[in-house]
Amino acid sequence: MRKKARKFDEIFEIPVELSTNEPKLTITGFERLLIENYKGILEYQEYFVRVNTHIGIININGFNLNLEEMTSDDLLVTGKIEGIDFEEVSDEAEA
Amino acid sequence: MKSNKLLEYVTGYVDIVIEGYYIEQFINICNTRQINLWNIKKENSIKVFASIQISDFRKLKQICKKTKCKIKIQNKKGLPFIIKKYKKRKFFFLFLLLIVLTIIILSNFIWNIEIEGETDIPKEEILELVKSEGLEIGKLKRTIDTKEIINKIRLERDDISWVGIEIEGTNATIKLVKADEKPEIINDSEYCSIVADKNAMILKVSAQNGTPLVKEGDIVTNGDIIVAGWMEGKYTGKQYVHAQAEVQAKVWYTTTEKVYLKETEKVETGQTENSYSVKINNFQINLPKSLPKFQKYDTIEENKKLKLFSNFYLPLELVKYTYKEYEEIQLIHSIEEAKQIGIDRAKESLQEEIDGKEILDKQVKVRTETDYIEVEVTYEVKENIGIKEKIVF
Repeated sequence: MRKKARKFDEIFEIPVELSTNEPKLTITGFERLLIENYKGILEYQEYFVRVNTHIGIININGFNLNLEEMTSDDLLVTGKIEGIDFEEVSDEAEA
Repeated sequence: MKSNKLLEYVTGYVDIVIEGYYIEQFINICNTRQINLWNIKKENSIKVFASIQISDFRKLKQICKKTKCKIKIQNKKGLPFIIKKYKKRKFFFLFLLLIVLTIIILSNFIWNIEIEGETDIPKEEILELVKSEGLEIGKLKRTIDTKEIINKIRLERDDISWVGIEIEGTNATIKLVKADEKPEIINDSEYCSIVADKNAMILKVSAQNGTPLVKEGDIVTNGDIIVAGWMEGKYTGKQYVHAQAEVQAKVWYTTTEKVYLKETEKVETGQTENSYSVKINNFQINLPKSLPKFQKYDTIEENKKLKLFSNFYLPLELVKYTYKEYEEIQLIHSIEEAKQIGIDRAKESLQEEIDGKEILDKQVKVRTETDYIEVEVTYEVKENIGIKEKIVF
């Protein structure tokens, strides 16, 4: 089913982040990180932000991290970002 | 990235401090309930700064209870708060509005009329004329049709050859060009006589055309015909012509000057004092300042129309009075001196008439009274007289 859907999306050139629930990360410079399609914030510290998404968890390390903009879809993290890493959750776990 | 700074400012927002242990939970609940937070900044593990729309702020209370957080307002920002603050100063804004309105309304009227151009026509006369056509101080600008006024002025006055009316701001400028008073030009084909325009004694008449009616030595008065515009022949009868002649005559110009033997002359001491007053239309307010301390002084009035920008005249006038102190110095002339002074003054006042003409004679009559002398000066001048006058049948 899923593979067929992907093909459909490919033919009609529908962006991946729209057709699936995958998050889209946009990093501008080293100090602005925009996360679209996120689920919620698991942890927020000045030096560490843990963001939950549909396919896993995004960990952001840095200093003076602020959540500058927050809507139900977008999250803009600013501050000195040192590293980003991901914790993938398997399909079964998500379901 | 939905919200933008300007919109936030217009709708108003508050900076809040959230204190509690379950801040992540708090933020997530806000998110699911579509409450926008921004500028979220962690101070320490239990304290977070954030900004929130005013309309959303009330919804926070419930969430606070759930997550056991405390909320404090730190700062109120945006237009709604400013408006609220200035609501107490209603009158200030009311007057501000009033002032702006009055300026807008006043700018629709004419508040100053200037007359430009060198003319002998008195300003009052022009203002009167213009007023009758609808241009006067205090008139609505829209109702003034300058073209119509210009046309009417030109129809009414022969001595104005060109009129321009410019309305700039609240200022109307009337520009005038005086028409040269030209003697009526009479065509060569028309019949005319030559008529004396001054009282004079004829010296010489050389008529090229026409019949001279005067001889040398005759005295003519203003309006007398010197050369008639007709010829009388034995056989031809009376035939009208275009008279042409050169008439030389003696003309007398007389003036009388009174010279006091004791004259006082004003000498300015150089001391001045100023006082000011404000004039609104015709209502004058004197700014507090007593009259000057001088015993004898001249008052010089200087009016200044107040204006905004370059050509927005207000119906306000600032009047500056300058008092100049002077001293009187007694001058005592001898009769001889007084006579000379009288002659000089007479010459000055007749300068215009005798200038450039041949002076044949000068007579001075002096009448001495107890404290003054009267000097009568008569200049005898040789000049051409006579103007053409159309013969009207």
